[in-house]
Amino acid sequence: MENILTNIIFLPLLMAIVLGAMRASLKVLRAGAILTSITTLLLVGLLTYNFNPTLGMQFGVNATWISNVGITYNIGVDYLSLVLLLLISILMPLLYIYMFTEDRKGYWYNMMFLQTGVTGAVLSLDLILFYLFWETMLLPIFIMIGKYGNGMKQYNSMKILLMTVLGSMSMLFSILYIGYLYHETTGVWSFALENLATLEFEAETSIWLTAGFLLAFAIKIPLVGFHTWMAPAYGSAPTPAVVIMSAIMAKLGVYGIWRFGYGLFEETLFFYEPIIITLALIGLLYYAIVAITENNLRRMFAYSSGSHLSLIALGIFLGNIYAWGGSLYFIATHAIASAGMFMMIGLTYHRFGTVNIDELGGIASKMPIFTFFFAFFALSIAGLPGTGGFVAELLIIIGAFKTSFWIGLFTATTMLSAMVYIFWMLQRTIFGESNNDIEVKDLNAKEVFMLTPLLLLLLLTGIMPSLFIPFFEPQLSLSLGDFLVSIGASK
Amino acid sequence: MLSTIVFLPFISSLFLAIVYLQNTSAKRYEFFTTFGIGTILITTILSLIVLYYMINGMGTIYSHAFTWIHLGSFKIEVAFMADRLSAIMISFITFIGLLIHIYAAGYMKDEEGYGKFFAYFNLFMGSMLLLVLADNPIMMFIGWELVGLSSYLLIGFYHQNTDNVKAANKAFILNRVGDFGFIIALSLLYIALEGHGFTFDTIKENISLISHEMLSLIGLLLFVGAMGKSAQIPLYVWLPDAMAGPTPVSALIHAATMVTAGVYMVARFSFIYIQIPDIGLFIASVGAASALFAAIIASYQSDIKKILAYSTMSQLGYMFIAVGLGAYSAGIFHVFTHAFFKALLFMGAGAVIIAMHHEQDIFKMGGLKRHLKLVYITMFIATLAISGIPPFAGFFSKDAILVTAFADQHYIIWAVASLTAGLTSFYMFRMLFTVFHSPASQTNELHKLDKSITYPLVVLAFGSATVGFLGVNPAYGGEALINNFLMLPDISSHIPHSSEYMIGALNVSLGFTGMLFAYKLFAFSKHRPDTTTLFTRVAINKFYIDEIYEALIVRPLVALSKFIHNIIDAKIFDGFINTSVLLYVYLAKLFAKLQNGKVRYYALYILAGVSFMSIFLMYKLGVGI
Repeated sequence: MENILTNIIFLPLLMAIVLGAMRASLKVLRAGAILTSITTLLLVGLLTYNFNPTLGMQFGVNATWISNVGITYNIGVDYLSLVLLLLISILMPLLYIYMFTEDRKGYWYNMMFLQTGVTGAVLSLDLILFYLFWETMLLPIFIMIGKYGNGMKQYNSMKILLMTVLGSMSMLFSILYIGYLYHETTGVWSFALENLATLEFEAETSIWLTAGFLLAFAIKIPLVGFHTWMAPAYGSAPTPAVVIMSAIMAKLGVYGIWRFGYGLFEETLFFYEPIIITLALIGLLYYAIVAITENNLRRMFAYSSGSHLSLIALGIFLGNIYAWGGSLYFIATHAIASAGMFMMIGLTYHRFGTVNIDELGGIASKMPIFTFFFAFFALSIAGLPGTGGFVAELLIIIGAFKTSFWIGLFTATTMLSAMVYIFWMLQRTIFGESNNDIEVKDLNAKEVFMLTPLLLLLLLTGIMPSLFIPFFEPQLSLSLGDFLVSIGASK
Repeated sequence: MLSTIVFLPFISSLFLAIVYLQNTSAKRYEFFTTFGIGTILITTILSLIVLYYMINGMGTIYSHAFTWIHLGSFKIEVAFMADRLSAIMISFITFIGLLIHIYAAGYMKDEEGYGKFFAYFNLFMGSMLLLVLADNPIMMFIGWELVGLSSYLLIGFYHQNTDNVKAANKAFILNRVGDFGFIIALSLLYIALEGHGFTFDTIKENISLISHEMLSLIGLLLFVGAMGKSAQIPLYVWLPDAMAGPTPVSALIHAATMVTAGVYMVARFSFIYIQIPDIGLFIASVGAASALFAAIIASYQSDIKKILAYSTMSQLGYMFIAVGLGAYSAGIFHVFTHAFFKALLFMGAGAVIIAMHHEQDIFKMGGLKRHLKLVYITMFIATLAISGIPPFAGFFSKDAILVTAFADQHYIIWAVASLTAGLTSFYMFRMLFTVFHSPASQTNELHKLDKSITYPLVVLAFGSATVGFLGVNPAYGGEALINNFLMLPDISSHIPHSSEYMIGALNVSLGFTGMLFAYKLFAFSKHRPDTTTLFTRVAINKFYIDEIYEALIVRPLVALSKFIHNIIDAKIFDGFINTSVLLYVYLAKLFAKLQNGKVRYYALYILAGVSFMSIFLMYKLGVGI
């Protein structure tokens, strides 16, 4: 159990290196990748089974790494990272099933690198380590869009790279400066979160340092204004990359605010609260309105993802248990729903060679099972009761009303905003008459097998949230309490 | 037992869906029919048992399934509660639902996707029962939204035709606009009572903790939800279009059950509404306006289902007059009687449509009373009932509402409601006489009707003729059984029996007047509404409300979306980023010019550099020139 987290992080990378070194054939590579993903899933399952919801950081490893500047290999898991860890490990095997017939080897290698990157970023508790993984996870995405994507793939992959790196650079600057300040104050070097969290900054310094982090996270989420990489990148990326971007990487932006923002700058974050809340509320509607007339399904759900991520970001800035719980719950349920939705869009592309709404239509008459899954995931993104998204949105709305009537009112528009583009899209994509004369086959057993876990998870999270909430509730209330105390103290 | 009543239809729906999807081309008529109807039969029996217990004096029944969520003090149970109000509701919902299921087995027999239809139908039944039996507002809201979903699925049942899907979308979206109000109301209610529990019982106990203003806001927003679901002005426009669904759907969902959910909700929250009579008056006014407006439009329609749809909206208006003025029992009583005669009217209309080979224009029918005797007789009874002719069911329930409005001295509402009663009789008999009496025009053989289509009509006709006796006013020598049974917190003002007789007499005479006019105009010739006068043109086009909404909401939204897409996103945000990139490239090119490979330039840079360094050093060292 001691090294379980290390294994979970590095197993995919190690496997990729071994397979690469032995110049594995496609079959071996595929088997290796799938085996790795299943092994990590089992390890995460074991971890979850032994996870104690009443404790904070668990399964921690703290080893010195570059000792003369105090960089450590410091990892651990708590309720927050567990949610993301579970999502990654559940999605990876399903994505491998999705790309089972993929014969470009680089694709498989990239996915394995990607898994190590995102897992590492989720579990790192040392800021330099976090930064490394944060950048590592971008590279496979860059390659996958640029090499295996479609449309203006090179331009779009360069765009996501540059914009994201701009954010990462500002974050790196903040990290280094905090490390420097720590050295100034204590005389030793450290980048471990728990050490840096003890620092007291001057107000002005803190505002700039926070800005460095927030820029990185705002671009990753993305908040409105920092988002122009999103639709092109989602539009060009191959499906597995889109799924990881929307389900995991966008959530890492929120996770970053939660872990490092609240960890390091509680009071200063409070200073940014009005700005973020405003941006999030604008984003919620802005993206949803753009999505209405978007013709490309991938880009439409890119905007949809932006809209819901804004809602999640809003939730964590509202500072009450309902909004926080709702946001965390939404991280999980939106990841599952958007993974399912983007997989369905990918399957649409496989069948029709297009994801443009005006070239589709009439799918319901051709493929009833496909329609069932497509509509289910679309409706769960619209937050239909019985799916997890509803629970999350309900909690955030209640939390917003607890904070203020007007914020609540704007937040509640999420009930309307997603619905408009989703239902209009369903009308033109699934129903009506077909705009092409392509002969298609309904979902096969493999595809149903890959989608069913997502469907069941969405239903389970919607029908029995009480099964999941105890995993994070105790520690969530505790850290909320700490936060409120420190805010109260600073006022 | 309550859990079984709610969960059984859901499980059955899931099972039907899986069997259907497993091989969509298989017919499996017997399986889907027995399974779909069988589960509803069981729920019906269980519901009637619940009602039987209640009649024998049993108190409220509670049933707890599992904890839905527990986060902070937000603890919501999946739990059910049957008091007298919900017992009445579930018994007629399941009973009429069962009849319509049987009817659908005949009506939908040859349709593709028969199994899917029953899966949706059972999903609806489960959702509706969840809505009614929920012991807390959150569960009620979930049922509320799920009935909207099943309504969406069923309106768009014939999804090959884009118009039907558009109608389905319209229904769902307008319902969700209502739900937007509903969810805000629930959130405010929860926050106002945070930590005091959130079931109907605990809310009722702690209602005094909420300020009057907040309570008014909550009441108003709850009613916005009801406006959407129960098709009241201004959120009604989906209901006429919803007739795109198969006729059994119109009968079950868009007439007898789902659309009355708004009335039920107001009655369920009666403990809030009795404290805010101003909002109640607003509700009653909206109801009265909707009743009259729909009745006017109905008088000019020629599609048999559209006429019935507007008539439903109009009758729902009556129900809101009642619950708005605090006569909750009267409102629920009208919900109850209306379910019988309106389901019957729709099912009769469906029978006519089938017989006429899917013709829905009443002016292309005629003389059907000889060929469809049973349908004619049963629909005649239903028309008498809806027109408020005693002793049929509608008279008693409508009379109770009119008396309430008069007794509370809301004379305008009373006058509007009375006028509407006359109009109701006019447009209903207009439909009946045109379809069954006017000279025959069809030449084709009529399609034969299944027994499973006609027998339910007889049962409902019996109901339409008799269920009114459950609520006969004391003025007419009755004991208002249903009012006493429901035990709702009615606000009742008493007026002398003589005034009640006057109101009743006026009501009946208006009913007969409407009937006579209709008989003269429509029984002997086809009198299609002409477009000569401005008013008729406007009324035929439903006052152009759809067009107005399109121009005021839909088009601006699409334009805004395109504007954001093409201007704000592409030109401003991305423009800013691309400009900075271009600026960077420009600067790079500018500086690149320095490095042009010509030695004399480099010599110049060296000279400049050395000079600058020298000057700097001299300045630093304080050496004068």
